[in-house]
Amino acid sequence: MIRFDNVGLRYGSGPEILRDVTFHVLPGSFHFLTGPSGAGKTTLLRLLFMSLRPSRGLIFVFGENVTNLSASGRSALRRRIGIVFQDFRLLDHLTTWENVALPLRVMGKRESDYKEDVTDLLRWVGLGDRINAYPEILSGGEKQRAAIARAVIGRPELLLADEPTGNVDPAIGNRLLRLFVELNRLGTSVIIATHDYGLMEQLDAPRLVLFDGHLQMR
Amino acid sequence: MTFLSDIRDYPWTSLLTGLLPARIVNLLPARFQTRAAQIVPSASIAGNALTVVIAIMSFLACLTAGAVYMVNQSANAWVNDIASEITVELDPINTADIEKKMTLVSLFLAKQQGITRVKPLTADDSAKLLEPWLGQTSALAALPIPRLIAVEIDRSNPPDIQLIKTALTQNFEGVTLDDHRRWQAEIKTVTRTAALGGLVVLSLVAAATIAVIVSATRSAMASNREIIEVLHFVGAKERFISREFERHFLGLGVRAGLMGALAAALAFLLLPLMMHMLGGGVVTEAETSRLIGSGELDVWGYLLCLLVALAVAGICMITSRLGVIRVLKSYA
Repeated sequence: MIRFDNVGLRYGSGPEILRDVTFHVLPGSFHFLTGPSGAGKTTLLRLLFMSLRPSRGLIFVFGENVTNLSASGRSALRRRIGIVFQDFRLLDHLTTWENVALPLRVMGKRESDYKEDVTDLLRWVGLGDRINAYPEILSGGEKQRAAIARAVIGRPELLLADEPTGNVDPAIGNRLLRLFVELNRLGTSVIIATHDYGLMEQLDAPRLVLFDGHLQMR
Repeated sequence: MTFLSDIRDYPWTSLLTGLLPARIVNLLPARFQTRAAQIVPSASIAGNALTVVIAIMSFLACLTAGAVYMVNQSANAWVNDIASEITVELDPINTADIEKKMTLVSLFLAKQQGITRVKPLTADDSAKLLEPWLGQTSALAALPIPRLIAVEIDRSNPPDIQLIKTALTQNFEGVTLDDHRRWQAEIKTVTRTAALGGLVVLSLVAAATIAVIVSATRSAMASNREIIEVLHFVGAKERFISREFERHFLGLGVRAGLMGALAAALAFLLLPLMMHMLGGGVVTEAETSRLIGSGELDVWGYLLCLLVALAVAGICMITSRLGVIRVLKSYA
């Protein structure tokens, strides 16, 4: 599903942030991506999500070499990936419901076909009473859950999450992890970038550990 | 085909609601009240200033197109008029009895094949033709004003003008025939020049509109950069993103274009009155009405204004689309 071959990345003429990163992600797998702050977790996720191009090496996403992929090709692959950003990236002028429904709207689906699904998912992540609220009045944890709901609403084949439990209390964090596990059981591959050891302890999943620009599988 | 499907898929009901104030939209049936929020908020696209600028462009374009159409219509009517007539001119100098000569020439012309009507103009008629330029003066009677015979020809079976011309010259001294060809050619030149001038003005208006929209598109994209990024992350294609922007610019173009067209239509409605009030004397009035007729625009003229307004809206939409796609490619 995902293959990195000797991938290196540097910004401009600066030092390499990632060096010789090589790993495979199989369909239906579950991985934690961890490492100290500044180790390059977010950068690796951005490479996976094709919002950065590697300085060297090859990246294959769903079997396609993404190095020279067209804008249209990238869009098609991104529709198969859900991503949760650390800073949520919710649109302030849309309600919670509209933010979560955005990927389906972009796919050209009719509102009547997904109306109930979006509402059900929002209830499931504990935002049933915040459906018509705008992001600016949501708490950090609520924004996090809305961002996760937006990432999973399209039933992606691959879910990437950057510190998804960073802004929620342990109870909600556990609930979100259960959501990720449930999605994984349904066939979605999941990569969660986190340095929350408590979260990682709850699940026996392989860990991709980034340290000093190198990646190790543990 | 993409363009046709864009037109088919365009949320026309949202355009309608965009044209009306919110309190009126709330009274419309539910199907006209769009529920899906705008992904790119209209407030971030363009202010009233841009609408006013595009409305002025549309007004100028409609005014130009209408004026060229009016001149063209007037010239066509004039050409048709003079093409079905020839004029025979009699020089009064060295002619003892000009009235007798008028009668003889008229009778000669009436016998020719292809001539349907011969109308000799009296000395008063000839003087009246000069009145706009020389004024009402008794001095005209003392002048050797050429006498004219208006000859109507059968356009389906026209006479041999050259043959008549030769026969007149041979039989009568001081008689010339004017088949109006020189005038027709001059009118056509004036019409072509007016059309060319109009085309130049329209091109300048279109170029200015494009420049304004390109600038507004770039500015809109810069202020909505975060939204564009999120759309990219959720898998939106360039076409989807450009559509989100271009629908705003199409709405703006339709609103501003119609405003400009309405203002131009009002100007054309008031033109005959203005011509009368600001006529500037008999000669100016005569020359102006010769150039643009009565100053009234017919139904086709008003439809032309509507077409120009829609073209302005189309320019807004297509320019913004191309602008968005170009900027998106630079992001990649």
